[in-house]
Amino acid sequence: MSNLAVATVLTRPGMDQDAQQRLELRSVAPDFAELYCAHSRQIYYLCLRVLGDHALAEDATHDVFLKAWRHRAEFRAESSWRTWLYRIAINHCKNIRRAWSLRHIQPAADDALVANASVDSSSPLRVLELKELGERIQKTLDQLPAEYKLLLLLVADDQLSYEQIAALTDQTIDAVRGKLHRARKAFAIEFQKTA
Amino acid sequence: MNQHTKKLEQQQKQQTTETKLTEQKTAAREFSSVEEMLRFDAAQTQVPSSIEVRLAESVQKELAARKARPWWKKLFG
Repeated sequence: MSNLAVATVLTRPGMDQDAQQRLELRSVAPDFAELYCAHSRQIYYLCLRVLGDHALAEDATHDVFLKAWRHRAEFRAESSWRTWLYRIAINHCKNIRRAWSLRHIQPAADDALVANASVDSSSPLRVLELKELGERIQKTLDQLPAEYKLLLLLVADDQLSYEQIAALTDQTIDAVRGKLHRARKAFAIEFQKTA
Repeated sequence: MNQHTKKLEQQQKQQTTETKLTEQKTAAREFSSVEEMLRFDAAQTQVPSSIEVRLAESVQKELAARKARPWWKKLFG
């Protein structure tokens, strides 16, 4: 079979659309396509939950990877690709939020209320309808201070250590631990309210 | 004949109830921590395929623009 014939088979209608599109990026920049495949889910998820909007998250993910493509020569091997991409994504989302003044729209949970609440953050979080899980998580995260939200999203990534999270958020590991403790508690309180 | 139909109906009802119970069981889930819940949510989240298409187009444009630069610009920035 000729190369042309192979290409026709690979892009024929009815074939998995994702596979077709992956091929497209692979044909343009093979190494970069691998990077995209390995990290796009986590970067998109962070953008989605930080910005709380699918369209904004889509644009942000595109912009983050395009910035990464433009500056890939500046990447230093002392950090991982994941943390490097996270750093770009965090800064990008901060700029978007600043530009849209989104931080004034959603009220953040009161720290004092969280500290005095009697909810045990170590108790299991029960969900009956998985379909609504995404919406409930978004509602909950939107009620938290931006810093708590970001820390929870980063710590949920298996590939990141406390040290890396501390570096990404410009604070000490102890500060991260302390804030995460309060963030988990705040999340548990707010999550119960969404039931 | 009637008995046979009744039996079939009963069997069907039982099967429907069992299916509903299984669905409920799979729908309900308990997470031991916030991290576990977020991890699950992230795994369920589909990355829109349009991002990859747009990215491929953007990268292609950048590569084309780079190729189109005159030799002296490439040399001296």
